[in-house]
Formats: sequence, structure tokens, C-alpha cells
Amino acid sequence: MKIFKLPDLGEGLQEAEIVKWHVKVGEEIKADTPMVSVETAKAVVDIPAPYPGRIAKLYGKVGDIAHIGAPLVGFEGESDARDAGTVVGVVEVGQKVVSDAPAAPAPVTAGIKATPAVRALARKLNVDLAMVTPTGVDGLLTAADVQRAARILAETGPIEMIRGVRRSMAQNMELATAEVASATIMDDADIDSWPAGTHTMLRLIRALVAGCRAEPALNAWYDSEKIGRWVMKRIDIGIAVDTPDGLLVPVLRSCGERDATSLKSALEKLIADARARKVPPEELRANTITLSNYGSIAGRYASPVVLPPTVAILGAGRITKQVVVVDDRPAVHRMLPLSLTFDHRVVTGGEAGRFLNAVIADLQRAT
Amino acid sequence: MSVVARFEIRYSQFLDPRSKVVAPLPEFTRKTEDLAKLYRWMVLMRAYDAKAIALQRTGQINTFASLLGHEAINAGIASAMAKDDVFLMTYRENGVQLMRGVTLKELFLYWGGDERGSDYAGPRGDFPICITIAAHAAHAVGAAYAMKLRREPRAAVCALGDGATSKGDFYEAINAAGAWKLPVVFALTNNQWAISVPRAKQSAAQTLAQKAIAAGIECLQVDGNDVIAVRHAMDEALERARSGGGPTLIEMLTYRLSDHTTADDATRYRNPDEVAEAWKRDPIVRLRTYLLAAGAWNKAAEDALLKDCNEQVQAAAQAYLDTPPPTAKQMFDHLYAQLPAVLHKQRAAALGDD
Amino acid sequence: MAQITLVEAVNLALKREMERDPAVVVLGEDVGVDGGVFRATLGLIERFGPERVIDTPLAEALITGMAIGMAVEGLKPVAEIQFSGFGYTTIDQVVNHAGRMRHRTQGRLSCPLVLRMPCGAGIHAPEHHSESPEAMFAHVPGIRVVYPSSPRRAYGLLLAAIRDPDPVVFLEPTRLYRLFKEEVADDGEALPLDACHTAREGSDVTVAAWGAMVHESLAAADALAEQGVSAEVLDVETLKPLDLDTLLASVAKTGRCVIVTEAARTCSFASEIAAGLAEEGLLSLLAPVQRVTGYDVVVPLPRLERHYMPDKGRIVAAVKKTLAFG
Repeated sequence: MKIFKLPDLGEGLQEAEIVKWHVKVGEEIKADTPMVSVETAKAVVDIPAPYPGRIAKLYGKVGDIAHIGAPLVGFEGESDARDAGTVVGVVEVGQKVVSDAPAAPAPVTAGIKATPAVRALARKLNVDLAMVTPTGVDGLLTAADVQRAARILAETGPIEMIRGVRRSMAQNMELATAEVASATIMDDADIDSWPAGTHTMLRLIRALVAGCRAEPALNAWYDSEKIGRWVMKRIDIGIAVDTPDGLLVPVLRSCGERDATSLKSALEKLIADARARKVPPEELRANTITLSNYGSIAGRYASPVVLPPTVAILGAGRITKQVVVVDDRPAVHRMLPLSLTFDHRVVTGGEAGRFLNAVIADLQRAT
Repeated sequence: MSVVARFEIRYSQFLDPRSKVVAPLPEFTRKTEDLAKLYRWMVLMRAYDAKAIALQRTGQINTFASLLGHEAINAGIASAMAKDDVFLMTYRENGVQLMRGVTLKELFLYWGGDERGSDYAGPRGDFPICITIAAHAAHAVGAAYAMKLRREPRAAVCALGDGATSKGDFYEAINAAGAWKLPVVFALTNNQWAISVPRAKQSAAQTLAQKAIAAGIECLQVDGNDVIAVRHAMDEALERARSGGGPTLIEMLTYRLSDHTTADDATRYRNPDEVAEAWKRDPIVRLRTYLLAAGAWNKAAEDALLKDCNEQVQAAAQAYLDTPPPTAKQMFDHLYAQLPAVLHKQRAAALGDD
Repeated sequence: MAQITLVEAVNLALKREMERDPAVVVLGEDVGVDGGVFRATLGLIERFGPERVIDTPLAEALITGMAIGMAVEGLKPVAEIQFSGFGYTTIDQVVNHAGRMRHRTQGRLSCPLVLRMPCGAGIHAPEHHSESPEAMFAHVPGIRVVYPSSPRRAYGLLLAAIRDPDPVVFLEPTRLYRLFKEEVADDGEALPLDACHTAREGSDVTVAAWGAMVHESLAAADALAEQGVSAEVLDVETLKPLDLDTLLASVAKTGRCVIVTEAARTCSFASEIAAGLAEEGLLSLLAPVQRVTGYDVVVPLPRLERHYMPDKGRIVAAVKKTLAFG
């Protein structure tokens, strides 16, 4: 039963006398229908129905005292009083539904182990904890370790931050080493037949083109994520240039389509521009293969670094006179050492070998 | 087998539910003006109660425990007590507080969640509202012991409910009070309900008064809706206490006409017919009817009283609403006699948040 | 000046203060005619009478609640709870009322009571007689928790506790009641509350303890001294409110700290001190703080008692651990 209590009649009145009932038990009434007239000290007041419903019970007869807050009328049906769910205070009701998030995998913490006092000391002495070798139990960095590092740093002076071209080299070489499956073949080209004044770089470029024609697989780009490659038609050779700022690799475009004159002027311009730091950024990109004539400075054989997405780099060492065997007899010839490093993820040893043979064959021609 | 002890529980009533005098009236009723005074207090109590409920419904005070129907018990207890007696209460005896000098504003402050409401300007020695059931019964024993030790003609009055008589603290207290013959009166309001637990489920004892027999102390039952019966029983109990006669347990029978608190909905567990029936024993109507018949009251007086009560209550409510709320500082004030050094930092942090 | 035991010091302080202040009353089970089961209240009823030395019924909640009522009404009750294991029954009255009476009434009423209880293990007693409840009480706002470690400290601290205007839970280390004697002047002088006491100065490690564990810590300090380690022993004495500053100053000097309690490890008061040191003394620390505690088990019966209780050996081992850290 829904109980309707006599509501506050105002002005501190606490009760009223029932004068007349306007409804009967069992009657179906609408909201606001006057149910009963009650007489207060002031006046006769009609009490309206607070909601529609069927009368189940009347509390009190005519002449009875009805009290504020006491049951007055009972309506059929369930009490619609909202359950507060407590007897003190207010328990907040929310509609949100939550569910457990799947447990994230525990992070691997491989932090530096040092007590706060030691960390504070490191800050004070300006020592980067990552640079300090711990000697404590279980890899613990001790105060003594920090002090040792501070002494060493005092002797070495401050760190020089690497920027610009050198920074790019550092970053690119790191990426290359992480990715590439390097393999190197070394051999020599007998260039004794070259006339005096032969332009080594131009011959190397021509030989490289010959190698690409023989084995196009080394003139390609490799996408390690997709495990796919583009075998390039154009031969754009990245020329390694040593400059005061560091290593630059400007690109000589379309080497396969140019004649010797065009190549020569382009190469000279390219090297001059590189040394003068005038190479536009787009000409430092998108080479299909790389040539490093490190021999112009020093060294015979090397394992130069393949720069992704390319898959091969030809290194040329210093030309020297060597004792070689010609027709089963020793002879002294000028020899050009060659090192071909390739990305074995995408280039086979056979391809590399045949490429190199083609390079050598072209180089060994007198002109 | 022989009988080594028997007990009997007496029941006292002077005005029956139709206000008929059913026993020789005690001396104090001769001055009808005094009875009218009690009536005025009872009506004020009810006006206060209604206002508190209204304030709670509009979110201006927090949970409130109504005393609807307990007006005779409140007035009977308070009018028997001396100023320097000590009153220990639960949370439903705001009427006694009012009569002993606690202001309406202080009551609203307390229910509004402000500890300043317990720093009574009036009865400085009365204990504050005790929420944990029956814990204050032990406090009453201690207070009464101090009075007896100092040979003071004072008494402690401990108000409790029917639910409280189930607690260990209650048994320990009445037992100790009896063992030491202490000047304490246990005024037990049996309003038939401990939240949703009806009296019959609370204890197998036929009366709650008879628990006093187990403690070896005096007891009786009175009609808690008859203010004359309540007052008379309190007078005798306090006289006994002050004269070294020891404690008394008075079980005052009434009915909790309201929900347990404003957060409770009693229709969940009790029959509204029973409530409607209980309204017929309303203590205020009972006394008024008697006073009207005795020529000690009339409509004009009634109107004036209602008007006055309304004004008092409205003014106090406004004064409460106008009181600036406490700051975070109140958490730390009066925690110790002097706030220990280690808490100064915490207080500073709390005040910083203000 | 006499050489007396800890329990005699308690007795002396009670006598002294009951003489000085007629508001002081003593109550508890068997405290009157029997002089208390540990004889802490011996001779009081003869001197001050049964109205001031009250043999109560067997009811800890009543004893505590009654003490609250007495204190509010202007007496200065010193209530005895016979054993710490029965002390848990008092927690309702202590937490819900003693610690709150002043604040609840915004200073109108106050509750200057002392609740004494013997606690700690090591007396080969049956169950419930070896508890260490100090952390539970220390958690409660509005009260003080005081724990002496020697006769002299017990005398002065009990006087201070009785004179304090706020409720004090006064825990007495049962094992030390008669274990040794000390010169105690019956001069009525209270010792300071809310302050750690330096029981022994040192420079290599701070050992913080209270109650019976101070005795063990001093023994450990002796053993360490023979090995060239200088241990500073701090007797916390007042657990609540905690004097963290003295502990921090000591750790700033030594860089290492071992906290000793015979209570169970989890949420022990040692944990509170360790947290305070972590929050405010981190940069002083050269090694992690070590807690030497009882295990998280029920305090065992006498047969296993010595396996449970922290002793000189465990304290020394913990100190060495802090020194070996690096």
C-alpha cells in the first residue's frame, strides 16, 4: 500500500480535525482530487490527492485529529518511495558500468640502481648516472662510483654534442647496422693497362654501371617490413664525399644514360658543391647504389656500410703497385682493390660475385 | 527445589489515552500552570522536529533523527532534573536538551554537521550526543561515581533506547551502578523499534525494566505517552539517587511515530495501520485534552503558542543558515588541549587547501 | 633515592600523584585489595581508601567508559586493564569517545584519563597475555600513546601522563616489570611527553625502539661496540604524537636506521617511522631502513616465544645489513 501522510499545513500547525471525507475505499481517483477537508486553528483546508490511484484505506473518521506526518490515506499498489539504501547520510547512486581492463603486461624495469643519496650526489657533481659503471652488489651504483666518474669527467672535459652532418651519419649508420645483413666480397682489378691521367672516379662510375647492367639486383631498394624490393631502372649513384663537416653522399643521377663528358662535369660540380655545402637536400637522397672511393685517402679493403633502402655499396681502395702473376711469372702491376658489401637479405652471393666480375671486367679495360 | 527470589514489575500511568485520570495525581500536578509549561515545551519540541525534517528535505541539514511521539518522555525527564545534574543522551532526546538550555540554533548546527553545535552555551556539563549505542551508559557510571566520591547531591541521567538494552555496555553499566549504589537514573525509551527490529525480536525478556533485577537495582515501567507518569517516576528516581538509595531503571513505553532517521523508510518493515493506531496515543493531544478539561488551556493560548513556536523555530533556522560554515581549521582545533607540534604541518597543509 | 623495578616505579608514581592531586583515582580489576595482579597498585587502597582505589567488576568496556565519565566530570582516573589482550575490548570506548570528547564538544568537555595496560611478550604466559597493541592505539586521533622502557622513565612518564589534559594510553612492558632495577628519585618530576629520548649516543647507525625492545637494543649496541660499530639507541617513548624530528636528526648523523618492535610486522609502528624517514629523511639514508619485528603470526605460546621475539642477535644482524649496503 502506498501511504500518503498529512503534509505540512504551514505556520507551525501540527494537526487538524477531519471534517469530511470526499472519497471512499475502493474509489479510483485522479491526481489533485480533493480527498478530505480538515479544519485547522485557522481554516478548513482541502487535501488533494498527490497522485492518481485506487483508495485502499482511510485513516481516521470525521471528528478525529489528523496529525502532520501521520498516515492519512492508503492507496493501492507498491510504495514508490525510492529506497535510499541507508539509514544515515546519502549513498550516491551511479549508472556507470565498469569492467576489469585486461591486465597490461608487466613493464620490464631495467633502471639504474642507486640510492637517493647517491643520485643526489650525482646531480651535485653533474655526473650522468648512465655513464657510470656500478661496482656495488647486484649492479648497485655506489657513491664511490659516482665520485670516480666525476674525477674522470674532470679530466676529459665536457662532452661534445654531435650535430649536423655528423649527427646524421651517426643516426643513419646505427639504423643501417641494426637492419642490414652485411656480407662483403673483396677482389682486385688489374688496371695496369690504364693510360696516364685516367680519371679513376669516372672509370669507377662506368664500371659500377656495368655491374648494375650485369646484375640489376644490386641496384635496388629493399623494404624490410613488406619483404619486397624495387629493382631500379635508373642508376643513381650516391658518391661518398669526405668534407670538413663530415661524410656527405650526394647523388649523381642517371649514370647509365650519360656520356663521359656529362658525367665528368656533373661529378666535378657535385664534389665542389658538396665541399661548399651547397648540395640541395633532395640531391642527398634517393640513390640506388653507393660508391665509396675511400682509397683516395687510405686503405685497401674495407667492409663499408650499406645504407638502406639501397642494397649494395662498392668500395674502392688505394691503387698500389703489387706483385702479381702474369702468364705464370711474377710482374709488377698497378692494382685497384675493390670491396663490395651487399645486403644478403635481398642479394645473393652469386649475384654479388657476378656483379663484381662485371665491375672488374670493365675496370680492366684500358679505356 | 525452593524459590530463592521472585520479581515483579510495576507499571505507572496517570492519564489514559483518552486523558482520563486513572490514578491519584502526584503533588506537582496541583499547579496546572506548571503542567501547561510542560505542554508548551512539548509543542515547541514538535515544531522544532518538523522544521528539522523540512530542513533535511531541502538539503540544509544532514541526516536527522526525529523525536516525534517522544515529547512526554523528553519533557518528563528534563523537568525532573536539576540544573547541575548531568544528562547523557543518545540522539533522540533533543527535547531534553532544549529544556536544559541548549538552543534551537545549536541543535540545527549539530544536525547540520558542525561540531560547534555540541559546545552548549547553556548546560556546560551535559554530555554530547552519543551515536554509538549504550557506550554512554558507562560514561554515566563514571560521572555518577565522581559525584558520589565528592559527596555532591547531584545525579547522572542516562537516556537509552530499547535496542541499547541488548548491548554489553548497558549490562556492564547497570551492574556497576548497582554494585556501587551510584546516583544514576537510566531513562529507557522503549519506542518499540530499533531501526527495523521490533521490540519482540530484540529480547525474550517480558519487560526491559526487569533487566534491572539482574543488576540488583530498582526499576519500573511507565506509560511514556503520559508526561505525568514520566515526570513522577523521574522525581522518585532522582530523589532515590540523591539520597544515596542508588540507581533506577525506568522503562518508558511509547512508539516511534517517525522513521528511524530521515534516510530510513519505515514502510519497508512496519505496518502503517500500526502507526496510525499509535498516533491515537499522541502525548501532546493527551495532555492538551486534560488541560482543556481542567480549564488550564484554551484555543487562544493554543493559537498564541503555535505562533510563538513557529517564530522561534523559523528564527533559529535562519540563524543557523546565516552561520558561516566552519573552516578546515575546526578539524584541528580542540583535538588536544594544545595541538602537538607534529600536527602543525598537517594543519598548515589542510588550511592551504581551503 | 631507591633502586627499584619498573613496576615499583609505576607504583611510586601513582602514590606520588594521588598524594598530590585528590582528583586522581585508580580503578580496574583486582587493583584494590590485591594491589593489582602485577602489584602495580600495591599499598594504594590502604593509603587512599576504597573510594579512590576501586575494585571494578570484570568489565573492560565499563572500566574504560567509566573512566571517560569520571574524567569528563573532573576526576583524573588512572584505569588499569589487566592484560593487553583484554585491551582490545577498550578500543571502542577509546576510539569512539575518549579521543573525541574534546573535539566533539569543541573544547567544552575534556577527557584527562590514563589507561594503563601491561603488554609485550616474554613472560611465558598463556594466550592473550603477550600482545603488542601500540600501533592500533597510535592510529587513533586525539589520544597519546606512551610506552616506557625503564623504571626511571616509567616513573616520570606516568606522572606526565596523569597530568596531561588529554587521554593517554600508557603501555607497560610486562617483561621488564622486574627484570632490572634503577635509581629513581621520588621527586614528583614529570618527564617530557611527545619527545624521543636518546638512550645511548652513537654515530654509525640509529636503532629506534620502545618498551622491552629498548633493553634488547642496548644489549645489541654493546655487542656492536665490541665490533667497532657505534650504535645510537633512541627510545621513542611517546609513539603518538611521534617526535620524528629527533629520529631525523639522528639518521642525518648516522645515515642508517634499524627500527625494533616486538609487534607483528604489518602496519607495526615501525612501519610508521620508516614511512616518516622515507618522506623526510631520504637524502640522509645510505641504506634502506630495516625493521626488526615480530612475524605476522599470532604471538605464540611459551614454547615458541623465543623464536618470535626480536632479540639482540636479530638487531645486530639488521644493523650489519645496513652497514653492508654500500
